Amino acid sequence: MAEARRLVVQSVLYANSTEDIVRAGLAVINSVSWARDAGLISSWVLRLGDCSPEPVFTEESISPLRAAVEESGGEISYTVFGANLGSAAGQNRLAAAGDEELMLILNPDTQVAPDTLSVLARAVREDIGIAEARQVPLEHPKYFEPQTGNTSWASTACALTTREAFDSVSGFDSATFFLYCDDLDYSWRLRLAGYRVVYEPSARVFHDKRLTITGDWPAGAAEIYYSAESAILLAFKYSRNDLVDSLVKAFTKEGSEPGLRAVAEYERRKASGALPTQLDGDHRVAQFINGNYAVHRY
Amino acid sequence: MNEPIETDAGPVDQTSFVDVIETILGRPELDEELAIRLRSVTEYLRQPDDTSRPFLSVLLRTQGKRIEPLKDAMLCLAAQTLQDFELIVLEHNALPVDVAGVREVIERQPPAFRSRIKHLVVEGGTRAKPLNEGIGAAEGHYIAVYDDDDLVFANWVEEFRDAAIRGDGRLLRSTVATQSITPEIWPDRSEGFRTGSWPAAEYPVEFHQLEHLLVNYSPFMSWAFPRSLFFTFGLRFDEVLEVCEDWDMILRGSLLCGVEEIESLTAIYRRWEGGSSSYTIHSIDAWQKSEKRVLDRIDSTTLTLPPGSVERIRELVGFHERMKHFEPIFRGPYLWFPLRVTMKFAGPAAHLAVRVRNRIRRLLVRAR
Repeated sequence: MAEARRLVVQSVLYANSTEDIVRAGLAVINSVSWARDAGLISSWVLRLGDCSPEPVFTEESISPLRAAVEESGGEISYTVFGANLGSAAGQNRLAAAGDEELMLILNPDTQVAPDTLSVLARAVREDIGIAEARQVPLEHPKYFEPQTGNTSWASTACALTTREAFDSVSGFDSATFFLYCDDLDYSWRLRLAGYRVVYEPSARVFHDKRLTITGDWPAGAAEIYYSAESAILLAFKYSRNDLVDSLVKAFTKEGSEPGLRAVAEYERRKASGALPTQLDGDHRVAQFINGNYAVHRY
Repeated sequence: MNEPIETDAGPVDQTSFVDVIETILGRPELDEELAIRLRSVTEYLRQPDDTSRPFLSVLLRTQGKRIEPLKDAMLCLAAQTLQDFELIVLEHNALPVDVAGVREVIERQPPAFRSRIKHLVVEGGTRAKPLNEGIGAAEGHYIAVYDDDDLVFANWVEEFRDAAIRGDGRLLRSTVATQSITPEIWPDRSEGFRTGSWPAAEYPVEFHQLEHLLVNYSPFMSWAFPRSLFFTFGLRFDEVLEVCEDWDMILRGSLLCGVEEIESLTAIYRRWEGGSSSYTIHSIDAWQKSEKRVLDRIDSTTLTLPPGSVERIRELVGFHERMKHFEPIFRGPYLWFPLRVTMKFAGPAAHLAVRVRNRIRRLLVRAR
């Protein structure tokens, strides 16, 4: 049997409701308990970093969650960052606060299933750098190999990565990505470093996403803007200058405010020499397919 | 102690009212239908104080054969924004090994959720039997049915609760999307599935009573049924029906209590491709027989229709009147078939023609 490893579960908060975070925390406690019973996890810590304008928790309001984590044999830390660092920088800050061998990156608007930690902890072995849990009720459409789980990239709505893999690529690229595509970039750099990125469908996580009554995705303003900005920066970073040009042209022609802002931000970085170092020059890893970053099943 | 019932003649103590009904029920000449209704009234009056009830009882049917989808279904419930519900897992005609599997899934749930789960093992009968057993055990003000391979969004219970505040006592109906899945072995060797499509909102957003007589376009988890439907009016799922037990209850319930609409997509109905489902297990004959039984029963009763129905009926009858000269085309064997074939190919042919036309135009532009 494999040796039990130490775990950190880390979430970056931004104006979430305390009720949601506590419920997410209780689900984590349950899932970790089963993984500990199975001998997969030794000690564990729940590490929360708060980017909200006003702290989500007071000492008093966090005390029920603290009590529950401690009762389960874990530890909890809650750090108020005092600024909106974004997901990439927030996760890096949380990661720097410990040295646990396993790191579960988890969105605060999620709820893990009882066996999620066990499945992911079993999966993350040897050459696997990160394993992604399947999201319900809206599953991501990217393709994965049925036998191996190999996939293009792992969403960090809920994904388990190893400290070794994380350190080997220096964590998330927070200088380039604020909110979106930081997980994509992390996955691709892991693959360039020789790790596998896998999708574990039997590890499930509920992610509170909803559809409009006509079945459409209701994208928010931040999602639209940061997706546009990240699309250009990701294309640049993975040596697809042709795609950068076509995205800039398309956003400029379209003339929407988020698109124009994204182009302006790219131009600003270009002028100030703040663009990332280009990678994957022979296009081994990065996939840009019809606006997606993987082959999609649908 | 229950409150006395207010009547025109003053307050009547419920215990004595129950005694009166019991006396009537003791009469040998009593009409059987009336006896059923009266027994429901006594059952209702003997219920505990309503404030202790959860808002919703969720009846989850399973045969224990699809553990991975069941885990998805349970997770969706554990993640509801409103937790004021109980879950009754109804395991129907399951093998002992499958019962143990379902029990393990329940035992692994977080304690606050696990404490609200009942697990009933039901043997024999049609798909309606476990539902009736579930109703017998249900404590909720409303009752919803959710199969073990479907998904609900985080607001499923909350939307029902909000609608119940607006229209208590009516059936509550939200909108459901569909999604295809195919069986697949997952990397960890578990018997899983692969999702094959984005959820499609293919069912009408609005509920139309008359159109529902033609076909059921509201999957089970679109609905929450008021407790009164079962415990005051005495309805139960029809255990003779092999299938269509949902449609039957939706029709009878909506005609009796009316419908409160919810303008929100709250669930995903997963359609199996290549696996077994009610569509593949039951024969066409069983579907037709069940459909006939549902409609015969509705047709043998006096109906109360919702507002707007007269206008709709007039439209339909008027349309039928205008079309009657064409009736031989639709009824006769010789004209209907070629017409149907023509209609089937007309759409794709027109689409192809447009594509060819556009291609020719593009070529001409390039040539110039």
